[in-house]
Amino acid sequence: MSKAKAVTSVLDSLYKAYHKDAGKMLIHTGTIGWVLSSAAQIAGIMMNDKIPKEQKMFLIPQEFMDACVNILSFYFVTRSFTSVANKLTKTGRWIPSNVKNHLIKNGFKDRIGKFDFNIFKDVKLTGSPKRSFELFYNGLGVVATTIGSVISCNFITPVLRNLYASHRQKTTLASINNPNPSLQNPQTPRDKARAAIHHTYMQAFMNRGNLKI
Amino acid sequence: MSSLGIKPVSNFARRSAKWVFNKLPSWELKNGKVLNGIKWAGQHISSPQNRLILGVTALMSQPFIDLHNRHVDDETKKVSAARTVAKIIAGTTTGFFVRYYSIKAVEAFTKKPDKAVKTLESLLFPKGIAHTTIKGMQQYKLALGTFLSLGVMLFTNFAIDAPLTKVLTNLFVKKVHEHERNKMMNNPVLLPNSSDSKTPDATNDIHRPKMDIFLNHNRKEAK
Repeated sequence: MSKAKAVTSVLDSLYKAYHKDAGKMLIHTGTIGWVLSSAAQIAGIMMNDKIPKEQKMFLIPQEFMDACVNILSFYFVTRSFTSVANKLTKTGRWIPSNVKNHLIKNGFKDRIGKFDFNIFKDVKLTGSPKRSFELFYNGLGVVATTIGSVISCNFITPVLRNLYASHRQKTTLASINNPNPSLQNPQTPRDKARAAIHHTYMQAFMNRGNLKI
Repeated sequence: MSSLGIKPVSNFARRSAKWVFNKLPSWELKNGKVLNGIKWAGQHISSPQNRLILGVTALMSQPFIDLHNRHVDDETKKVSAARTVAKIIAGTTTGFFVRYYSIKAVEAFTKKPDKAVKTLESLLFPKGIAHTTIKGMQQYKLALGTFLSLGVMLFTNFAIDAPLTKVLTNLFVKKVHEHERNKMMNNPVLLPNSSDSKTPDATNDIHRPKMDIFLNHNRKEAK
């Protein structure tokens, strides 16, 4: 496949995927945004020559953990909100009045609001009801996605991250106040290895200065 | 499939989803403000507006979550809240403008191929789609612009967000300390060794950590 054809194929796929569903686009780009910014953070640490190799071994998994919390929380919470909104709309459980009247006239009265009913597949909407329903479906998807992303990014993620960061701070402070004798004066090879990792961990903690936000 | 246990799990998930669905209320929207508002949101809220909404709501929630974190000391709470505010302002400003201008840029290259239209102007038009609609193209431009902005933000994260966050954090932390210093100066009870204090020892013990932080900060600044 030539480069031009490959580009056209990507553009066509984008059109097919997102021309009707703005909510889906917001979830996908939001998740990719989180993945890229986390990858950039990790790449920043990996390429930073000032950070010793031992510290990188500690900092990279920590950034990775942060990234997992951010990405999973965003994707699953936001996706759930959008999916529920889409299901409620597609089945007619939440429906504009004019579309409902149109469905009743066409003999779908008993199926409106039922779990297995799908207005897009089971009904051939045309004209004004079709436009109205598409706008409503798209709008509700965007509203649900926005609410979901606000809840996940501004409430769930900060609370989870603060819990995780404060747990780390507590364990580190406890380890400063009550140093482990085997790590202070390591005798066996195993203790020496543990002491080296512990030293790296402490240095990394001291260098961070405050809680990771 | 059944022997692997996938089908029963899938059936259980479906039954659960159906049970939850049946508990949700029905809602018939007559043409009114709510219905028009929902339709308007679908047409006008896209990634730049979504980023702005996220930023504004983040400013209203995240600093308070940091300030009410019971697991850390007062100083950490203040510094983390200051850093959160700085990150939100820097991230939202950059995020909004990069998304907005990326979408604008994409619009310039997605014109429908025509004799009067230059090749470059239709470079990003989905040529394999037989029938494109005006609304479909509008959503397509928003999606393509947002994807483009994600690439741009890989650079702006380092070039703008990070330095701006640092500058703003330092500014906010300085303001917080100035505010605390003024508060202590205006309230003699809070000052250590104050002769006005009725229980000087107890008061000093309580506020000693705050004063130490304040003094340490000033020493660092002087250096």
